[in-house]
Amino acid sequence: MTKPKKASKALVRRIFWGTLALALFGAAWPLIAPAPRTKFPIAEFSRLPVLEGGRVKPVDSFARNSLLLIRGTQTLPLGHGRTLSATQWLLDAMFKPETADTYEIFTIDDPDVLGLIGLEPGRQRRYAYWKLQASRDEIDKQAQSAERIPSEKRSRFQSAVINLASRLNLYEQIKNTIMVSGDGNPASELRLFEQVVPEAVRAAHSGRGATARGKAAMKALAQLLERYQFLAKAAAFRCLPPRSGQGVGAWASFGEGMLTPPPDSGPHPGLADWALMGDAWRRSDPAAFRSAVSDLTAWVQRVHPEYVSKLDSEVEFNEAQPFVSGMALYVLALLAIFVWWGTLRDEVRAAAVALTGAAVLVHTAGLLARIWLQGRPPVTNLYSSAVFVGWAAALLGLAAERIHKKGFAIAGGCLLGFCTLVIAQHLSASGDTMEMMRAVLDSNFWLATHVVTVTIGYASTFLAGALGIAWVLRRQLLKNPDPATTRDLVALAYGVVAFALLFSFIGTTLGGIWADQSWGRFWGWDPKENGALLIVLWNAIILHARFSGVARERGIMTMTVFGNVVTALSWFGVNMLGIGLHSYGFMQKAFYWLTLFCASQLVLVVLGLLPPRWFFADDEDEAAA
Amino acid sequence: MRADTPLRRVGRALSSLKLTLACLVLLMVVVAACTLLQVPLGTHQAVVRTVRSFLIWWRPPGLSTRIPVFPGGGLIGAVLLLNLLFAQFLRLELSRRKAGLWMAHLGLALLVLGEFGTALFQVESQMPIPVGQTSSYSQDYDQMELAVVDTTDPKTDVVTAIPQSILKRSKAIETPSLPFTILVKRYYPNSVLSLHRSGDPEPLATAGVGANLNVAPAPLATADNEDNTAAALIEPVAKGRSLGVFWVSNGLGAPQGFALDGRTWRLELRHRRYYLPFSLTLEKFTHDIYPGTDIPKNFASLVRLKDPSAGEDRDVLIHMNHPLRYRGLTFYQASYGKGDKLSIFQVVRNPGWRLPYLACALVALGMLLHFGLKLSASLGRTRA
Repeated sequence: MTKPKKASKALVRRIFWGTLALALFGAAWPLIAPAPRTKFPIAEFSRLPVLEGGRVKPVDSFARNSLLLIRGTQTLPLGHGRTLSATQWLLDAMFKPETADTYEIFTIDDPDVLGLIGLEPGRQRRYAYWKLQASRDEIDKQAQSAERIPSEKRSRFQSAVINLASRLNLYEQIKNTIMVSGDGNPASELRLFEQVVPEAVRAAHSGRGATARGKAAMKALAQLLERYQFLAKAAAFRCLPPRSGQGVGAWASFGEGMLTPPPDSGPHPGLADWALMGDAWRRSDPAAFRSAVSDLTAWVQRVHPEYVSKLDSEVEFNEAQPFVSGMALYVLALLAIFVWWGTLRDEVRAAAVALTGAAVLVHTAGLLARIWLQGRPPVTNLYSSAVFVGWAAALLGLAAERIHKKGFAIAGGCLLGFCTLVIAQHLSASGDTMEMMRAVLDSNFWLATHVVTVTIGYASTFLAGALGIAWVLRRQLLKNPDPATTRDLVALAYGVVAFALLFSFIGTTLGGIWADQSWGRFWGWDPKENGALLIVLWNAIILHARFSGVARERGIMTMTVFGNVVTALSWFGVNMLGIGLHSYGFMQKAFYWLTLFCASQLVLVVLGLLPPRWFFADDEDEAAA
Repeated sequence: MRADTPLRRVGRALSSLKLTLACLVLLMVVVAACTLLQVPLGTHQAVVRTVRSFLIWWRPPGLSTRIPVFPGGGLIGAVLLLNLLFAQFLRLELSRRKAGLWMAHLGLALLVLGEFGTALFQVESQMPIPVGQTSSYSQDYDQMELAVVDTTDPKTDVVTAIPQSILKRSKAIETPSLPFTILVKRYYPNSVLSLHRSGDPEPLATAGVGANLNVAPAPLATADNEDNTAAALIEPVAKGRSLGVFWVSNGLGAPQGFALDGRTWRLELRHRRYYLPFSLTLEKFTHDIYPGTDIPKNFASLVRLKDPSAGEDRDVLIHMNHPLRYRGLTFYQASYGKGDKLSIFQVVRNPGWRLPYLACALVALGMLLHFGLKLSASLGRTRA
């Protein structure tokens, strides 16, 4: 190994801080950037509170999650350089459905489902609502019959058709939240309703002696009531927050608000505001839209000051997408590490470490924001476990890098950070990632202790596996790997395995204690518990194999690679068994990737067991020479 | 140098780390098998057949006998436990440097022992109580019993319970508490009941509701939330005279019985009951959901615990993650039904429930100590 020219310490330090600052600035840009000027006050509208899935959230989050569920993206490109934000799409769907029905948003990949609708596969992936409308009844019929089959026994077509039906359903609910599929004019109907109610009541009291005007009022009222009853049932979300003095159970949808007899203080102010917004959006009247939005915003600020800061922060969190910028930074850091390994220059190392640090900081910020917004420990579902595994692995890598300064630890950390964020990104397409916790899981104490520790166990087992991969690649690719570096790598992996054993054991047994506390048995051998136990056993096997001398360097390092398989299977494979947990449509695609991942790890294990540079002919030439 | 006696050789083999490794690998295979088998067999059966048995048996297709194909969790656990104890006392030095390892392995031994204890001693049952009602027994999930109840005295019932094991085994049951013999003609652990229609073969029963029923045996339920409908065809006989042939089943609600010498008797096949020396009254059941969804937020049961012998008479709130522990039993909020008018508790008797807590603490502390020492030593080397 040639000794590179030594860079001055001051220069290295300057490069480190400069890179770090630049990277953080880049990640914070969506927050600092001036908002694009729009005629309509979209940003204000997107901060209004709604209740959906049992959680108070800004319109922005509902719009993004819905578009993610339906289309798989958070924005809607319309071609010709025009892109709608999720909120703009939501406004169109609610108030101008005749336009929204032409947006190609329904992603359909399954050829059998396409066949059912009479569409040709391969032409395009996304279809507009109006194209699917003719087959709507058939889709519903197929979905209903598929739903009678237990989820783990459904065929690909059955899962896909259920998935499509539920997305169509969501879209139709959105269309019928304030208006009935864009029919009529919500503002004038509201005025009419207020006008006809007293007249109709009077007419009803006078019985047969009612005037023609009174009879007309009764008829109009009956029609309106029918409309609002329909809306009350169909609404996608509840848009009317409780009035002062009411509890969280008083959240009402537009239709429910109309049907509730108003107290002395008059009808809910949100009714008129939402109706006016709908009217203004339909008529493209920014001024009227703005006045309705500011009116409702002012009311929310007065009656629910407790919502305001969380709603604003959640919108900013959605906007900043810290996990997306984190992903980018992990890739940059990895590239920098490769350049460093190529050049062995201290300046590049400083930049690589700074980029890793920036990625971890951004990742941490995102994690903290979620903790604060949700009021929960970091891991509450599969999505957040993916976010957390990457974070813990990257942080652990950064810490280990301080002990073994060869770049392997941060490289492994960055790789895991990137991969798990990609997984999280895919998982987020299955709905609100800050969903409410089911009663059994509703325990912040156990979520914070058991779930967090066991997830750190996953993260460290993966990190050890990443180091194992580094060892395999060095062995097969490098001509003369430096033995001291190899020794360091092995020592590091061994330390990480010990760390992983500690955390996976503590995490697993804390899970047992939680189970004992909440349903009376310490250990029930259920799939999730078994998965965690397998990780503990495998890590214990690695340590004992080394201690007994059964496995040496090669054995230990390939065993850590196999640890990736064990961990991936107990993290995701268990959910695919279809017992205990419900399986998602996503899981079928995930099954393919999981199989691919496990196969790749087994190939690496075999590569690790083969003689060094087995693939290359050059060694034989050299040996012959 | 000491002589290499066979005893020493056995000791050495039992304490060898290679044996540990072999056991751990086998255990991984068994745990993985247990997980995968839960899909076709259900959790309970899969656990009983793999981790909670000494050998895993398999019946090759076309053969009538089962052959052992793999060591079960019980055997591996026992060998591992022996291996651990031998290794600990024969090999590991008793020093401060190894204190962490001692603690961790001792904790592990306790953990394995605890699992054996659970498998042997833990009894799980359930206790459904409708709102406003009082109960003083819990019932088994699988085990059935034939209750023969003397209902002559309207104030007290005298119950003779015959467990399922006897029903399965015996042809005729005689006991001093009953003035008649019960002949057991059929016993189905799970069955399908249907109304008898003209054209069906003659019903086997001659008395009670069963006289209008067809009863066919069915395979045992595998899903965890499915219940078996056990059925028994019985014939009480007194002094050589038949008192009728009855179908009894937990799937039948209507009471059936007969009269004999001025006494009235009721027959009932039901889940085996465990009577408690105290009673619980369900005062209130609450089932909260998140607004606008059907996601459950909390389940809670307010019960009145009355134990005259101990002078206890108090309200207890049993809810998620907060069970009631009383007299060696633990009551958990497990389920609910009948439109939130019925609360179902899981009742667990596990005398060793504290053992895993101690064991886990020992292992965790031991590992922390051991790895902590190692890490600081390694850091010291790096710095030096």
